[in-house]
Amino acid sequence: MAVRTIRGRSVVRGTAEGEALVSSVPISFLGDVDMETGEIIAAGHPLRGMSIAGKVLVYPEAKGSSGGCVVLMSLAKAGRAPAAIVLMKPADFNIVEGAIVCGIPLLCEPEEDLLRTLPSGTPVRIGDVGNL
Amino acid sequence: MKLTDGEKRMLDGAEGPALARALDYVVQLGDAFGAERLTDVSYVHYPAEMSIYRGSVEELVEYAASGAKVAVPTTSSTLACDLDQWPRTGCPAALAGLQGRAVAAHRALGVLGTYTCTPQFLGFAPPRGAHIVSVESSAIIYFNSVLGARTNRGGFLTRYSAVCGKYPLMGYLLDGNRGGTHLFRCRLGAEDLRSPTDWSALGFHAGKFAGSEVPVFEGLPRPTHIDLLALGAALATSGSVTLFHAPPWTAEAGSVEAAFGGRIPKETRDVARADLDAAYDALTTIAPGEPVDFVSLGCPHLTLDGIRGIAEWLRGRAARVAEGVRLWCNTNRMTRAAAAWEGAVAAIEAAGGLVVSDSCPVESHMRLSTCREHGLAAPNVGAMVADSAKMARYVGDLIGCRTALAPRERCLEAAITGRFRGR
Repeated sequence: MAVRTIRGRSVVRGTAEGEALVSSVPISFLGDVDMETGEIIAAGHPLRGMSIAGKVLVYPEAKGSSGGCVVLMSLAKAGRAPAAIVLMKPADFNIVEGAIVCGIPLLCEPEEDLLRTLPSGTPVRIGDVGNL
Repeated sequence: MKLTDGEKRMLDGAEGPALARALDYVVQLGDAFGAERLTDVSYVHYPAEMSIYRGSVEELVEYAASGAKVAVPTTSSTLACDLDQWPRTGCPAALAGLQGRAVAAHRALGVLGTYTCTPQFLGFAPPRGAHIVSVESSAIIYFNSVLGARTNRGGFLTRYSAVCGKYPLMGYLLDGNRGGTHLFRCRLGAEDLRSPTDWSALGFHAGKFAGSEVPVFEGLPRPTHIDLLALGAALATSGSVTLFHAPPWTAEAGSVEAAFGGRIPKETRDVARADLDAAYDALTTIAPGEPVDFVSLGCPHLTLDGIRGIAEWLRGRAARVAEGVRLWCNTNRMTRAAAAWEGAVAAIEAAGGLVVSDSCPVESHMRLSTCREHGLAAPNVGAMVADSAKMARYVGDLIGCRTALAPRERCLEAAITGRFRGR
């Protein structure tokens, strides 16, 4: 399958490639994601049982406690962090701070509605395209 | 972002790799949000790494070994256990041991061992207009609203701001972001706001509507500093409020008009006592007459007069905490030391209660996930009464127990009778 390039506002610099994992609902790292494995564990979450490790994680917006950063750091230490994060809405301070320290590229407000047009499993690339 | 020559040199490594890395993170944060430049900060309240997050302590220990030091006075927020009394609280030794490693690393970094959510009551009260970086939502909102200092909701990068002494000039540091958005017209008299818990209920009610914006309260009776602490902590619980105005009692706006800076409120609501009662009800899942096994006082941390008040209440009744009930009075070690000196700690302990420092139930080993990891009973608590909406809200989810919100006297009655009799 051809690699699709995702463009948007590059909030935390960096390039990444990986399979897309697209969530139609917001994700809170604290509570929704297992700190050791990267598996989505929240009851009722549409991606429950899937792992975010190494994926380009696409979801509508961040939610939940500032403790989410600590979970992201634990995942990064265990080599189970996402390869990149793509948020459909603008990012809040918290997720940006977490992404900077963990070295995870973060893209916001992509050019197209990825929640409709990008199936999970598609190989994608995040380019360091700067602020559009 | 525009950097000064000094900042450019720091970024290029002229002052060592630790400072270069710290400044690089802070510059990335500023770039992400379009800040024009950095500002020097005068004070930082630091997110002390808690041992319930193992990875975060390991990362801290590694970082401290790099030789980094804080550049400005830096206090620390709460830990996962009382460093001295952890065996009395039921904390597993492994958790206390790991927490001790974090404390050694904080000392190496130059972070002050305050371990509290209320540094503003320990002498860290920056003046109006000061640029600071703080974590802990109840302290952030107090700094901004009551003192008029300026901070955003600090996160992971707070450490790096402490090390380089810089933060991007953005968000609540800028005049243009400090105006009111939501107006709450309070139909409340002094008789409706009789305790800090009533102020907490008011904050819990209003925070739901204010979300992450700036509520303005019109017509509130004259508050104490503890009332405003309670109001702010609850606003930052049901919402993620960073700043509120309650003219003329808060720092920046002498009138409602000034608080809105000439703009029209996005939303206007009347608030009556019935709204406060509804907030109490929403946080209460223990029915009147039912047994309780935990009473938590001090969210945010108790001040010296708060601890003395509890001691006098218990001593005056020659009361004892009921069999099977844990009474925690949460504070920091400086306040506990003062309370011990005047005999209040001994009085509470004689009645069967604990004065816990450095931590609180919701940050402790009693979290569901931590209990499971350490083979403790989960949930560790069945039914908890608290005098703070913030505590009642978070223990429900994180400790997994039933809760009741009630003023302090009712909480103390529950502690000595073992039953919740209602608010």
